[in-house]
Amino acid sequence: MATIEVQGLTKHFGSVVAVDGLSFSVDRGSVTGFLGPNGAGKTTTLRMLLGLVRPTAGQALINGVAYRDLPDPERTVGAVLESSGFHPARTARNHLRAVGMVDGIAAARCDEVLEQVGLAADGNRPVGGFSMGMRQRLELARALLGDPQVLILDEPANGLDPQGIAWLRNFLRWFATQDRVVLVSSHLLAEAAQTVDDVIVLNRGRMAGHGSLTELRQRATTTVRVRTPETDRLVSLLSEHGIQARHQSSDLVEAQGTTVEVVGRLMADNGLVVLEMTSAGESLEELFFQMTEGAQRFGAAGHPEPAPVVGPGPMPGGPS
Amino acid sequence: MNRLIRSEVFKLRTVWSTWLLVGLTAVLIAGLSALVAFVPHHGAVNFPAKGTAAWFDDLFSVMALAVDLALVLGAIMITSEFRHKTVTPTFLAEPRRGRMAAAKLVVALGGGLTLAVVAGAVALVYGLASVATGVGGIATMGTMLTEFRHVWPGVAAAAVLYGAYGVGLGALLKNQVVTIVVALVALAVVEPIVGAAVPSVGRWLPGYAAQALESVAASARMHAGFGAVSSVHLLVWWAGALVIIGYGVVLAALGSLTTLRADVT
Repeated sequence: MATIEVQGLTKHFGSVVAVDGLSFSVDRGSVTGFLGPNGAGKTTTLRMLLGLVRPTAGQALINGVAYRDLPDPERTVGAVLESSGFHPARTARNHLRAVGMVDGIAAARCDEVLEQVGLAADGNRPVGGFSMGMRQRLELARALLGDPQVLILDEPANGLDPQGIAWLRNFLRWFATQDRVVLVSSHLLAEAAQTVDDVIVLNRGRMAGHGSLTELRQRATTTVRVRTPETDRLVSLLSEHGIQARHQSSDLVEAQGTTVEVVGRLMADNGLVVLEMTSAGESLEELFFQMTEGAQRFGAAGHPEPAPVVGPGPMPGGPS
Repeated sequence: MNRLIRSEVFKLRTVWSTWLLVGLTAVLIAGLSALVAFVPHHGAVNFPAKGTAAWFDDLFSVMALAVDLALVLGAIMITSEFRHKTVTPTFLAEPRRGRMAAAKLVVALGGGLTLAVVAGAVALVYGLASVATGVGGIATMGTMLTEFRHVWPGVAAAAVLYGAYGVGLGALLKNQVVTIVVALVALAVVEPIVGAAVPSVGRWLPGYAAQALESVAASARMHAGFGAVSSVHLLVWWAGALVIIGYGVVLAALGSLTTLRADVT
């Protein structure tokens, strides 16, 4: 059953089209990565799901209803948002109590979630003295307050230290195994790839790709190089199956847009000899770049936008 | 709605700015009362003799400052949500934004009352001290208490309603500094000018409406101290109350249609 359902969702900010006719659904028991470069419309989409931004057209539903129609919404949906704030003079615990009180969440639960995110010792400190990472942990604690069925997280790894990121990754995996739902946005592909089952790739407000991570990997345009004595037969065989292939040298064939699995099986079925087979470019990063190429090439001022950082994870404590 | 109200009260209790306002109310009223009580004004025609009913009226009219501070409190209640971006978690917990605004209006009434009680307590201390020390030689407990009963209820009613007026103004203007400056400049500068130039319009402004409430009893025997405002014929007290309620509700409604309806990004 689809728990998050987005249909024809569109948002215009003045003349800027932030989200353009987006439709997707997210099922229970999975972690779905919401990917795309900066400015792709990820945050706007998540904020429309949470009733914070009013869609220009279309609808965003959780359990079949709009966020504003959920009774005690914190008990159904937990959200971690980037621009969410804290009163600097209020303590972490009191921040949670004030928010939880609205949906009838007990004070004891506030201590539980503080414990869960590793802030138990800092609960009675004013948030004004918190580091970026501690604020992010507190934001996560707030999302967990109502023991929700659905978690929506916008760039949750921002500002977290490596231990925090590892903890978050494990937590999200565990959360999804409880037959619950996680939708997590990220512009850090490497980070997302370790956590998610399914991906939704957004580019300039539109869907650029949707599917399981494995599926998507297979869809990547890869180059398969095969060394075989029967190059002519291989080239025609691949062409018959709609795969672009050409001779590189007397014993080398290069095929585009396929995988070693496909080529290997075809060759075995047809009794062709393989001397060597390699593939290149089969990485999620490259696929991601391909899907979001438009945004890279045609940035706002005609210059390429900065490429998404693909690396071992964000530095702790950086500004977002 | 009860849970929303409890949450709003809790939010107020858990930041020091609220207690700063409470403290400020006490300190300012103590200071101004001291001015009235101890500064001698020999020969000044406009000042009533110490210890008379009119003098106690002057002493207690200092409490009116709580009304302005109630306005500041109401304004801070809503604008701090935008200033510190707590509006995001607030709206996540209660996405029906009108209910959030309504809860704040209700809590601001209580906030105004709290400041009025603090102001009343401080003023009473001065009143009691004046009686105990026999200031002017003629002060009696009875005169003092009668005057207090004349002045305090009007001040309290005005403070309560001004709390809600502050929420309404803040809901519309959103920016904390702008809201407080606009509110206080309107009260201290714009209204007296309008009141002097067009008294028939002035009486409908929030400041004069508050004065109508504050001077329920005093207006009956307006003494020289109140001469400055006499060009404006104040509304009857209940009309003044309705006018302030009107400002609060209309501003909050306008705010709900504009600021509060806007996307939270």
